Amino acid sequence: MSELATLARPYAAAVFKRAKETQAMAEWSQGLAFMSAVLSNEDMSVVIDNPKVSKPSLLAFLLDICQGQVNAESENFLKLLVHNNRLSLLPTIAQLFEAYKADEEGYVDVEVKTAYTLSKEAKQSLTATLEHTLGKKILMNVAVDKSLIGGVLVRAGDRVIDGSIKGRLQHMHKALQ
Amino acid sequence: MQLNPSEISDLIKKKIENFDLSAEAHTEGTVVSVTDGIVRVHGLSEAMQGEMLEFPGNTFGMALNLERDSVGVVVLGAYQHITEGDIVKCTGKILEVPVGEALLGRVVDALGNPIDGKGAIDTTETSPIEKIAPGVIARQSVDQPVQLGLKSIDAMIPVGRGQRELIIGDRQTGKTAIAIDAIINQKGTGIKCIYVAIGQKRSSIANVVRKLEEHGAMGHTIIVAASASESAALQFIAPYTGCSMGEFFRDRGEDALIIYDDLTKQAWAYRQVSLLLRRPPGREAYPGDVFYLHSRLLERASRINADEVEKLTGGKVTGKTGSLTALPIIETQGGDVSAFVPTNVISITDGQIFLESNLFNSGIRPAVNAGLSVSRVGGAAQTKIIKKLGGGTRLDLAQYRELAAFAQFASDLDESTRKQIERGQRVTELMKQNQYSPMSVAQMAVSLFAANEGFLDSVEVNKVLDFEAALQLYMKSEQAELMNTINATGDFNNEISSSLKSAIETFVKTHSW
Repeated sequence: MSELATLARPYAAAVFKRAKETQAMAEWSQGLAFMSAVLSNEDMSVVIDNPKVSKPSLLAFLLDICQGQVNAESENFLKLLVHNNRLSLLPTIAQLFEAYKADEEGYVDVEVKTAYTLSKEAKQSLTATLEHTLGKKILMNVAVDKSLIGGVLVRAGDRVIDGSIKGRLQHMHKALQ
Repeated sequence: MQLNPSEISDLIKKKIENFDLSAEAHTEGTVVSVTDGIVRVHGLSEAMQGEMLEFPGNTFGMALNLERDSVGVVVLGAYQHITEGDIVKCTGKILEVPVGEALLGRVVDALGNPIDGKGAIDTTETSPIEKIAPGVIARQSVDQPVQLGLKSIDAMIPVGRGQRELIIGDRQTGKTAIAIDAIINQKGTGIKCIYVAIGQKRSSIANVVRKLEEHGAMGHTIIVAASASESAALQFIAPYTGCSMGEFFRDRGEDALIIYDDLTKQAWAYRQVSLLLRRPPGREAYPGDVFYLHSRLLERASRINADEVEKLTGGKVTGKTGSLTALPIIETQGGDVSAFVPTNVISITDGQIFLESNLFNSGIRPAVNAGLSVSRVGGAAQTKIIKKLGGGTRLDLAQYRELAAFAQFASDLDESTRKQIERGQRVTELMKQNQYSPMSVAQMAVSLFAANEGFLDSVEVNKVLDFEAALQLYMKSEQAELMNTINATGDFNNEISSSLKSAIETFVKTHSW
């Protein structure tokens, strides 16, 4: 994973710069998402990893699938990846691209897990608090996880704020050992 | 310790009362790969160099390589249960170990956990294993001796409190034996000892512990053991662990002695860790910072002045200097001191005790090569009487070495040369000493005085040790007062000189050896 990120970074940075120049951020984002979805398809991996499928025919096949879903520049990018044997990097490139995009637009993706569904007010106050602590706008993604017993677990990138009952019990378990 | 149920519930209640209930914030990462004790972790963007990281299953690791997209971590202990995708948490702390008086008499592993089956260690204090050595202003010059209890070393290669003196030699030349004698001799002197065993057989470590117990020396000793069966990471950090435990005493105005047995194996362990972390190999495949590995460790052995002790203890201890003396051990291969690690450590330390296998095999034990062994600061730290009497010994042996080749033509040599050879043979014989029988300052003084004043010249070479043993017995029973005075003051003057002379003359007349 870490090596993939190192390889994918120049591609992602180039795509990001180009997207900024042509002001086509949303299109690129969509295109990359679509292409990585295609590539992560299990049936596709059979074709991609097959050494008997030549580069031109693979490219033609992929372009055929992506027809109409992506713009012309994305198609060129796909050609480049096929030519460089770097197709497997596409999902990572898409991830890095999204990270650059989020950074540029000044928001962070935050994953929130709660034991019970949050009320609207609770959600609002949580958003306000998190925006204050993280110093950025947040894009909240809420999921319910009964195993937390109570409280919330917030995950923003590498940072984790564990306010769940489960986490506290584990903490206590250690302290009492 | 037996507790009744109500006490247990009280204890739990107390712990719960003090329990911090606030939400916990930390950084997390996921395990990408596990290879030979090295784990690559994705994420952990806020990890520090040397930070302690928590793996599932109460396992800890140390962050050693901080890269752009991943962190290289060495697992401290078993790593078999760690799998790809496991969550790794930052603890926000540099690796710490317990320190304190409670560790004395205990055997602990490289993380400070007891392994002697005597229960938990009753100490709350911890200290980071990596610390920067005291600065220039905090230091004081070395001017007090550490008596190792070995005639040949205390007389010729004296070690001072706060000095770093290397013990170097091939396998089976008695390196550990010197270290163990040094620990035994510190009984009752107030010097606390730490013995760090790195990469040794468990049976050897058990032997050392047993010997120290037999001689009543465990009471002032901590043993830090990272045996050959433990992971390379633990063998690599064990010396730093021991050093932190020793610094505890130094920083409180006490004196401590630490023995690293041996740093060659630590360098091997570090080489293994570095190569697995894919750091570029250099000479003998060691990484580029193997010099710093040892220099930063040995630089922490030092003597600090009273002001610094007062500052570190918050004014609780005043007017006392603290010291940590280090005796690192290096094993050479076939007497080759020009290999990478031996040259490094020789250049870092303040002198070396050089042991040779041919001396050892010819029965000269301790097998100290007096010509190659030096102590760069010890002279200033020597007890007066030993300094005065030991000087002659060194000279006698040096002259003897030059002439030893002619010894077989003894009959053709002139009178003075023959005398020098004979003196040299007797002094060489006198420098022999049994294991586990360290000598006090007074005992050494008596032996050295006898040699200097020529009392040995009339004794046959193979009877020298018998003569010495009988003389010591006589002095102990008949001249106890004189011996006590010498031990107490360490002075040498005309009065002591004449009483020693008359005592030995009386003994010689008895012909009782």
